[in-house]
Amino acid sequence: MVCQYMGTDMLERELKRGSAELLILALLDERARHGYDLARLIDGRSGGTISFHVTSLYPTLYRMERQDLIEGRWVEKAGQRRRRYYRITTAGRKALARHRSVWENFVDALNRVARIKTA
Amino acid sequence: MDWKTRILTALETAAHAPQPEVIEELAQHAQSLYEAARAEGCPTREAERRVVAQIERWRLEAAMLRHASRRPAAVEPPPASVSGLGDVTLDVRYAARLLRRQPRHAVLTIVTMALGIAATATLFSVTYGVLLKPLPWPHADKLVQLGETRGGAPPRFGSFTNAVYLAWKDQATTIDGIAGWSARAVTLTGSGDPERVRIVSCSASLFPILGARPLVGSLFDEADETLRDPSVIVLSERLWRRRFGADPGVVGRRLELDGRPHAVVGVLPDALAFPDRFVLAWVPYRIQPATGNFLSMFNAIARLRPGVTPDQAAAEGSARGQNAPDTSLTTTAIFGNNGPVQVSATGFLDAATADVRRPLIVLFIGVGLLLVTATANVASLHLARLTTRRREVAIRAALGAGSSRVIRQLVVESLLLGLLGGAAGLGLATALLRGLPAILPAGFPRLDDIGLDLTVIAFVTVLSIGVGVAFGAVPALTVRRLNLAETLADRGAVAQSHGPRLRTAHLRLAIMAGQVAIACVLLIGASLLGRSFVKLLNVDRGYDPAGVVISMIPMQAPGYPPERRFELLNRILSATRRAPGVTAVAFTSELPLTAGGSTMAFTLPPRGPSRQVTSVQASPRIVSPEYFSMLRMRILEGRGFTESDTDTSPTVVVVNRSFARTYLGDAALGSRLPVTGYAPEEGEARESTVVGVVEDVRYGMAGDATQPEVFYTHRQMRGRLSVPVIAVMARTTGDGSSVVPALRTVVRDADAGLVPDRIMLLEDGVLTSLARPRFYAFLLGGFAVLAVIVAGVGLFGVLSYSVAQRSRELALRVALGASRMDVVRIVLRQGAVVTALGILAGVCASFILMRSIAALLFGVTSHDGLTYMAVPLALAAIAAAACFGPARRAARLDPLTGIRDP
Repeated sequence: MVCQYMGTDMLERELKRGSAELLILALLDERARHGYDLARLIDGRSGGTISFHVTSLYPTLYRMERQDLIEGRWVEKAGQRRRRYYRITTAGRKALARHRSVWENFVDALNRVARIKTA
Repeated sequence: MDWKTRILTALETAAHAPQPEVIEELAQHAQSLYEAARAEGCPTREAERRVVAQIERWRLEAAMLRHASRRPAAVEPPPASVSGLGDVTLDVRYAARLLRRQPRHAVLTIVTMALGIAATATLFSVTYGVLLKPLPWPHADKLVQLGETRGGAPPRFGSFTNAVYLAWKDQATTIDGIAGWSARAVTLTGSGDPERVRIVSCSASLFPILGARPLVGSLFDEADETLRDPSVIVLSERLWRRRFGADPGVVGRRLELDGRPHAVVGVLPDALAFPDRFVLAWVPYRIQPATGNFLSMFNAIARLRPGVTPDQAAAEGSARGQNAPDTSLTTTAIFGNNGPVQVSATGFLDAATADVRRPLIVLFIGVGLLLVTATANVASLHLARLTTRRREVAIRAALGAGSSRVIRQLVVESLLLGLLGGAAGLGLATALLRGLPAILPAGFPRLDDIGLDLTVIAFVTVLSIGVGVAFGAVPALTVRRLNLAETLADRGAVAQSHGPRLRTAHLRLAIMAGQVAIACVLLIGASLLGRSFVKLLNVDRGYDPAGVVISMIPMQAPGYPPERRFELLNRILSATRRAPGVTAVAFTSELPLTAGGSTMAFTLPPRGPSRQVTSVQASPRIVSPEYFSMLRMRILEGRGFTESDTDTSPTVVVVNRSFARTYLGDAALGSRLPVTGYAPEEGEARESTVVGVVEDVRYGMAGDATQPEVFYTHRQMRGRLSVPVIAVMARTTGDGSSVVPALRTVVRDADAGLVPDRIMLLEDGVLTSLARPRFYAFLLGGFAVLAVIVAGVGLFGVLSYSVAQRSRELALRVALGASRMDVVRIVLRQGAVVTALGILAGVCASFILMRSIAALLFGVTSHDGLTYMAVPLALAAIAAAACFGPARRAARLDPLTGIRDP
């Protein structure tokens, strides 16, 4: 995942990682979704500003699953192929709350220093 | 579009082989991407290009996908070539890691094994403690219980006579000693509240025979047998601690038994208590010579001389018994005849446990079958798991592990599971054993010897190892037949060749049929015992026990001469009649449901064509006039007693049907019988007239034969009552328990010195007499239900697995035109064949095995048709329910998914 407006490597890596998690958790907080759905929504909702390369979506999902932030499960629906749906866990909800407050603080700080107004 | 192959090829070129699940998930994504592109209006080629670009990006990051799945990661297997003990340690560690990785499988196995092992261990402790554990006395294997018969007939009560005892005692060559004893309940007073305790009266020779040594003081000797007021008493350790606070200076202290003084001479350790630990004291008993009509009955025990067998001792006893004095009619009263003496000698342990031996062995076999079926389930589970582990095993074999190496690993795994199951089972058994005394029927022998000792722990350990090897060996042996190339080729998922799997599947089906057979055998056994119990419960006892309360009031003490007893009885009867809720009251000298009691014999003058004097043996019962109506006994001929039968009217008796049929033929009414039921005094009537015949009553076990009985009314006893214990019975409007306190008050108000032995509901007495059959039926029923559950779950598992395995084949059939019903039929047929074979084998086995429980049955034969019809039907229904799930799954198989997917 690449956030195109970020600067230094390290900050970029951390932000990438953090923002990817935040986005996934936020989307799964709404309801359980499968991988393709997640990729499509991240792309669509950011209006293309955040170009989300789905390449690393799955490694991210699997890592988050290992950390018990989300839980994947194969679901079979009538007349469809089975799909792996992910849903947020309790630990995931806590992580989401933490991420949100970190981001709010960060954006707030940016705003105060650089007077960038976020939407 | 087959994205799966493309993705797999792409990722494999990157030298990464992600889990099949990951590939599938990526393929789904690719397909969705393709469809979205097409929906946007992209031409096929453009849509494909987008997907290929995506796959290329995945390839670049493939390294991150490698450990992606949540499926249990492979555990590094132990090296193939190390040898020695370290090798086994590695195997164990590997097995432990595998179990941790698959907790559900491990827990299922351990729980199944724990249940089977706990049930087996519990029953083993009972069987071992009761039937096998050596008795506590030194050289107890030399102790024999003696029995005496006359003309082949056993005595009505007791087991040995003073006549034979004394004829043998001083001239014995095969035995080192002989002792007589009998147990009874007495009221103990002095040094604390009065209490009813069980004591044993025994000849002084008992202690040397047992090899018992006192804890405090001494044990009594022959000289003590004749001491009176005070007599002597040996206390049990338990009674000594409870009543004297373990006072070492207890010797010489006084106690009263039924009002008679006894001086304490010593204390016997509880471990040596004879015959069991329910006995709290021992008093001396002098065995009087048999002269005239005097005969005493007791139990006899002897110690064999070294090298002598019980049969040799019995032969000597029989020979010496021929010299015993003739006690004529008394002998007839007790044995029913005056034939030649025959003595039997049985190992004391065998004799003490004779009536529980067969049921315990039957139950032990039952629980053994349960364990076998539980083990079979686990073996089946392991077989199923092995098919998914084929690749692992094959790869290890390819890397150089010999088949014995692989087999050992598999056996170590199952051993570990078996031992864990055993440990859990032992814990469960401990809890079960703690609760056991509460559920074992009253009077169960050697209750104190049942427990978790080293022998039981050793048994469980061996059992766990055996079970572990058993359920590990079957899967391990199939490894030998593994085809390496085939297994590696099939990617561990798709059944390319049915060869080895088919064999495994067949093995599982065979195991399954065996389980159904075991469930069938247990269910038939339990049904027979259950039906027998219901018959015992509902048998016509000749009276109606519902709502009847009985109160046993002992009046043995010197303060209660016959006149006082008579007076007290009348007072208690009339007071009880006035108690609220009581509708009828009666007295009897012998309680229904109690064994033994008194017996009498007399001769009848010649009757009919035979012209022979008849020797009569019968039980006398003194009752109040209301007795028959109160118990709702049926009067078959003539009448019962009335208030007008008194001391001034002619003496009358009522006999039961057995008596009338055996001795009086068709003309019972009006027959004259000599009065021997109680001792008439000078000038009293010596003959009585039969005025009625009542239906037989079953007193003890419903299966017992009925005895000839003669009833006397207490109103013709001239104001005296010779019986030392009176039983007052009251029929109540409710279930009876509410009047128990009132009855207690009535007895206390009549005489403050009277302590009712027990007040209980007659129905409870009936149930108590049925406690053993109920216990056996209940336990075997429990095993049967567990076996049915195990078999049902097993059948479900085997069929589900079979459907999963055959999904390709079944889907193909559907694709080629088979209907859903056809597919369901295939699955059901498999279940039906297994069930039918199992039921057939089970019914055949039952037909042979159930003969062994024939002796435990009442009113049902061991080949009861109804049971043999109902059990297979019930099993078939359960099997059908177990097949339902897998069949439905087969019916829902999507032909495309089934064919495409593994």
